Parts: sequence; C-alpha cells; structure tokens
Amino acid sequence: MVKSQDAIFRQAYPAPPYWAARFDVPNPPAPGAFVLADLGGPLREVLFPSAIDADGFTVMLPPRHPATRLLPGTTVNVLGPLGQGFRLNGATRLLLVAEAASLPPLLPLLEAAPAVALVVEAPTRAQLPSPDRFPPAVELTLVTRDGSAGYLGPLESQDPVPANLQRVLLRLVELIAWAECACFACAPDRYPALAAIVRAARIQPAPDFAQALIQTAMPCGVGACEVCRIPTRAGEKHVCADGPVFDILTL
Amino acid sequence: MIELAPRHKFGLPIASPVMPAAGAFGYGDTYHDLVDLRALGALVTNPVSLNPREAARGQRIAVHGEHFIAHTGLPNPGVQRVLRQYRQMWERLPIPVIVHLIATSPAETAKAAERLAGIPNVVGIELGLIDSITPQRALSLLDAARAEGDLPVIVRVPFNSVDMLAPRLAEGGADALTIAAPPRAVLPVADVLGDEEAVHYIRGRLYGPALLPLLLNTLARWRSKLPVPVIACGGIATLQDAIACLELGATAVQIDALLWRDPALLQRIAEGLAKFDFSTVSG
Repeated sequence: MVKSQDAIFRQAYPAPPYWAARFDVPNPPAPGAFVLADLGGPLREVLFPSAIDADGFTVMLPPRHPATRLLPGTTVNVLGPLGQGFRLNGATRLLLVAEAASLPPLLPLLEAAPAVALVVEAPTRAQLPSPDRFPPAVELTLVTRDGSAGYLGPLESQDPVPANLQRVLLRLVELIAWAECACFACAPDRYPALAAIVRAARIQPAPDFAQALIQTAMPCGVGACEVCRIPTRAGEKHVCADGPVFDILTL
Repeated sequence: MIELAPRHKFGLPIASPVMPAAGAFGYGDTYHDLVDLRALGALVTNPVSLNPREAARGQRIAVHGEHFIAHTGLPNPGVQRVLRQYRQMWERLPIPVIVHLIATSPAETAKAAERLAGIPNVVGIELGLIDSITPQRALSLLDAARAEGDLPVIVRVPFNSVDMLAPRLAEGGADALTIAAPPRAVLPVADVLGDEEAVHYIRGRLYGPALLPLLLNTLARWRSKLPVPVIACGGIATLQDAIACLELGATAVQIDALLWRDPALLQRIAEGLAKFDFSTVSG
C-alpha cells in the first residue's frame, strides 16, 4: 500500500563527497527501497536511505541537492516507502559491489550480515571513499579505473595489465564464490556484464543470489508514468514498482 | 451529470468534471491508495497502441526550473494485452474508463477501436494524434476510430495545432476535444553529473505551470465557437486553475503530469469544484 507521510528534516552536514541529510519519519524505507520527497521542485526527489533506524533515515546527496537547503524542523511530505528493497534471506556472507558514486544505498547493509565484503570502484584514487569510514569488520576491496589505488578496474574488464597492477576480476569472482548473497549498485548498463561474471563464478545461482539496484529517475514511484521502464529478460518492468532491486540475472 | 458526448447516441456522462490526463495515472491500478477514484469523473488510461511499444532509450526526463520534459516513447503492451490485464479491474472501478488510443494508421486505429467495443465500463476512446499531423490525416484517423465500434471518440488535439485542427475535427464527427496534448520541447541536460559544461539535448513533452496561461488563451479564443465539449488539459495545478478553465468554456479538466508531485491534487480539485457555485461567476 502506498502511503503519504510527513517527514521532519533534522539536519544536513557535509560527508564528502556527499552531504548527509537526516529525516525523522514514522515509516522509513528498507535498504534498497526509497521515498519520493516533495522538496518544492516540479518533481519529487528520489531518496534512498544510507542509514536507517526506528525513527527515520539518513540520505547521502550531492552537495547542491535541494534537501541541503532545508531549514531544520521543516516538514517534508514523502510518498512511501516505495519499491522492493534488497532481500538478504538470512545470508551470513554478504558481498556488496558498488561504484563510488552509487554506493550510499548499500551503506545500510554494511552490518546486515556477520561477514560482509565490500568492493568499491572509482575512476581514480581521489574519488574513493576513505577506508576508515567503514566498520572495521568489513573486508574492503578498493578498485580504481586508472590503477591509482587498489586493484585495476573496471570490475568486468579482462584486458591484460602491466606487471605492477592487478585486475580486480579474479578477486571479484573469488568473492562471488564466497558469498551467500551479493548486492550491486552500479550504472544499469553495466549489469549484463556483471551478471555474466556471476554466472561464471557460480553454478546455477539461486534466485536473488545476486541483486542489482537501479538508481534512475522515478517521477511517480507507483508505475504510472512509464519513465522508469527498463528491459529485462521477462519483458519491460517498472524500476519503481517492480524494483528498484532486481535479480541481476534477469537484467 | 456532465455530458461529454451530447451528439453521440449513447452519450458519455460523467459525475465530476475532473479526470487524469493520459499518461499521468497509469491504467487505474497505481494510485488507488492515494486518490479516491469515486471523486473523479473518469479514468483516462495511459496511451495504448494496437501493437506493443517499447520504452524510449536514453534519458527520459529533464527538469528546468518549474518545468520538466518527459519522453517515454509511450510504451505499452498493446491493446490486446492491456485488455487481458485490466478489463476485469476496469469493470470493478467506481468510475467509467476512457481508453487513450495512439492513432497511427487508419487501419490500426480501426482495429484497436474494434477491440475496445463492448468492453464493460469502457465508455469512450480518446484519440492521441502526432504533433505534425495534417487535418486530412487527423480526420481519416477519426473516421477509422468511429467506424469500428459504438464508443464516443474524444480527440486530443496537439498543442500547436488547435487552431488548424479543432474546428475541422469538431465538424468531422469528434464527440469532444481535449485541448491540448502537451507541446514538444527540448532541454539541455548535463552529460556527467556535476559537469555543467558538457551537455546534450533531450526532446520530449513539456509540463509545468507556464502551460496554463497558454491553455487559457486558447480556451478564451475558442470559447463558444466549437460545437462539441472541450476538455481542458495543460498546467492545471490548483482548484482556481480548474475553475478558470471551466469559466472559459471547458466542460471538464484533465490533470496532467503535475499530479506526480501531488497525487491528491485530483481529488482536491474534484471536491473543490463540487462545492463551487458557478452561478456567482459573471458570463
């Protein structure tokens, strides 16, 4: 059931490269689900939680996002929670894979399983998040596309590399084989290639073993506007109502 | 009751002059938690074509100030699958259903109209035309929709072609006119997040408050000159906007994509109009 509820904006503060904004709301979204917030523009803004508690949620936003200009205490109407979030099904070994720019919606999952491995890819070293921002128990794998830090990306590349660098692909395959559940947050056009890696690393993975979050414009949030339709193996789907988390093997 | 098709043998009576515009509200299965459908006059469905259509590729929405453009490609599974999926639900809805038909060729339009005939609670067809259509082509599509089946046919007139098309369609047998389909527009969008210098351009339909004064101008110009009811559509965002449209001769109003931000708008306008005393308005 889709509900409209009032959220209270509490504060926004810099959390480079984002701004963090805190909202108190009676019914916060689960990881991977979202709310649509009326922040005064012609369309509602999609807010994916990056931290969730019983009283509300925090969201990571670009520095000039309209939410960062709200006054503390402002009431914001939100639609939601909307969409189907991540389904961990009691997994004890959880793999998270994200591009740095798409990482925030995965942050609520960092402590969602006893053992969590996180793979973060950024174009270059400067755009990688600082390792000390993650819980110490998380096994962190950093990847850069230019090889300036960590493994060499992109995640799905098999191209040969110079002797002083190491491709991330083998490491990723190893982690997929280790995990009981894998959650991805990348640009949607990368998911078919990442799904191929999952297929190569696991024999007949169970449904929802690997899940992919699609972050895109979702103006209505309920499947009415047709703006967020994506092709899947089962025909076109609405990201907002059928997702935004999909089994990666269906994409 | 408000009669949307007085020249049609069955008519198209609706209880409220407020309905969603095609493409804004889905097929009736999406907003029922947020909008009390009983307050509305009719459900106007998302655009439906004879054959399935896929979604447009690339970026589909861009915001500029208070306006935005959307380009969806009018994806739909085709009239047959739409009916399979929704006809039972439509039958149970508390309001009548007007199916918005994407008019491509006369043959396809006729086939699609034929399939809609006799569907319980489907009381009319709204014909969607492409923007650059000629009057002759529009009339041939209208004839095709009317030839097959008994449903009243409303034609949604392209925004920039109202002067050219509206009188001819009204004389040519349209039961009512929706004025107007949102105009086409182009907006620049950033190629890379945060890089405002690298842009590309996307084309789509324009939505926003600036459409309202343009709509009112069109309504004022055509007031009392069209022999069929007019449904006003474009930029209506408040009860006062809807009242202005009705005062300028519209019989009903459609709320377009502005309802995505505020779905309760439909119900507020419908309930406000139900209480409004039009006898106090000067002619």
